[in-house]
Amino acid sequence: MLSIYLNLSFGAYFLAMALYAVSMFFTNKALPFLARFFTACGILGLSLYIGMRWHIAARPPFSNMFESLVTFAWAIALVSIYIDLKYRIKSISAFVSLMSLLALGYASLLDKEISPLLPALKSNWLTIHVLTCFIGYAALTVAFVSSSVLLLRKKEEKNLDTISYKMIAFGFLFLTLGIISGAVWANSAWGTYWSWDPKETWSLITWFIYAIYLHTRFTKGWRGRKAAWLSVTGFLAMLFTYFGVNYLLSGLHSYG
Amino acid sequence: MLVKQTKFWKFFSSVKLVIWLLAIIAALSLIGTFIPQNEEPNVYIDKFGHAGYQFLLTTGLSAIYSAWWFIFFLILLSLNLVVCLLNRLIFKVRFLGTFISHFSILIILLGALIGMAFGQKGMIKINKGEVASSFLGRNEKQVNLGFSIRLDEFIYNENIDPKEKLLVYPVQKGGVCALEAIAQIPTEISAESKIADTGYKVRILRYLPDFVMDTSTKSAASRSAEPNNPAIEIELQDKSGKLATFWVFAHFPDMHQKAGTDFKFIYKWVGRQPKDFISKVAILKDAKEVMSRDIRVNKPLSFGGYTFFQYSYDQDQLGWSGLQVSKDPGVPVVYSGFILLITGLIVIFYVNPLLQRS
Repeated sequence: MLSIYLNLSFGAYFLAMALYAVSMFFTNKALPFLARFFTACGILGLSLYIGMRWHIAARPPFSNMFESLVTFAWAIALVSIYIDLKYRIKSISAFVSLMSLLALGYASLLDKEISPLLPALKSNWLTIHVLTCFIGYAALTVAFVSSSVLLLRKKEEKNLDTISYKMIAFGFLFLTLGIISGAVWANSAWGTYWSWDPKETWSLITWFIYAIYLHTRFTKGWRGRKAAWLSVTGFLAMLFTYFGVNYLLSGLHSYG
Repeated sequence: MLVKQTKFWKFFSSVKLVIWLLAIIAALSLIGTFIPQNEEPNVYIDKFGHAGYQFLLTTGLSAIYSAWWFIFFLILLSLNLVVCLLNRLIFKVRFLGTFISHFSILIILLGALIGMAFGQKGMIKINKGEVASSFLGRNEKQVNLGFSIRLDEFIYNENIDPKEKLLVYPVQKGGVCALEAIAQIPTEISAESKIADTGYKVRILRYLPDFVMDTSTKSAASRSAEPNNPAIEIELQDKSGKLATFWVFAHFPDMHQKAGTDFKFIYKWVGRQPKDFISKVAILKDAKEVMSRDIRVNKPLSFGGYTFFQYSYDQDQLGWSGLQVSKDPGVPVVYSGFILLITGLIVIFYVNPLLQRS
């Protein structure tokens, strides 16, 4: 019953993506407006889904890979609608919608069953930690899309570079909040704020790559392609922090 | 300023160095996520062989994050930070964010250093009813707590999937088993359940995730906490009140029929997950009980500068609880570094642009 909201959101994101893509080739004011409307519908649908799942499970729905992917898709769409309203670059909006769609599509392949929380996750830090991490991930994903579009085009566009930077600044702040909330939580659950667990280590590697991006930008003036390559590298490290660590490495952070 | 003209100073002033150090530390950390860290020797020998283990041991690759060369790069990074901070010690508003965020990293590293120098960490394994007043801390040194901690009770609860059931099929004369189950009994260890209207009753006595028969004591035990061979012990009471107890195995449905020939029991195992680990403990000081509390995961107990965390437990008999003990005076320093870092980043990314605009 609940998954109807998930399916409706999937449909809405798909329509939004298609409309953004079509609007790249036709100058029509109605198309991007409709696309924005469907993105908003998708966000509303996922908000309802997350809210109802929270209510039914009687705990925050952020405890496994499925639930985190839904949160990820929700956060990406939220960041994407902001970027779309501010910069109105249709190719960015189309690809960002595709990222939301991929996250939801992958989520739909996983077990949707609501299971009780493991003792390690029963903490108020769960919501703070997951939300800060995934808002950060979403912004870094938008930065990746913008950097990729920049790399694919022959002519360097300043706007794309600006979007990447703004999203990395925001994403870096939230990644920092995510790592810090994780450290504080680890200290209250296990008595160590840092134990070089693979998840921790990979989040630090990701943080370092974006720190390099910021330093080269501020002190050496790296812009355009050079900066875009760093943004893509940072995103790959982020993906590994999210998926790779869970599927390929073992450690304390085996939930999602 | 003379110092600022030295080669040392110039080397540590460069931004190029920061970028290289960040890249090197990231790369070394990355290696550490693919090689098991700080494990027992046999873990490495199984995976890499004796020569491989020797290699990892001498290079420090089996304990990267405490290897001298890793620490060396952290020290270089700290020196780099200090020199850059001193170089940019200009009291202008637009440098404030940069200063705070970089200073915060030094504070966090300082906090970590304080923890390493003055902190303690170790494990206490307490048997039920027994008392511990010291633990094996860093460098295998015995540390006295200055008080005692007693384990009164250890409780382990599991979440049982609601779909998990004990199915009861009637067996007709000639040993033909019916296709429809006449009862579906929940598998919580609990009171009696009736088998439909047959007059028989069953009771779930015990659950073992990894059933094994101990041949020396002739008693059932669990080899591990992994559900390799889930089994439940049931007590069957017939119409006349006669009792029979036997085990039913989830993976071996035909293995129980010694006790009753009227029914066939199928244990439909779905999966169980830990729900709670609770250590009920009391703190004793000068032979007087001063505190009595529960320690759970995410709910540690702090007393006398030490904090106790639920860490491990006796998976067979629930006879002991493993508590992690830690004392880390560096934590407040690290946390203030965290706050400074967040403040610094907010200033750089959001306050400075606002100030520039106006």
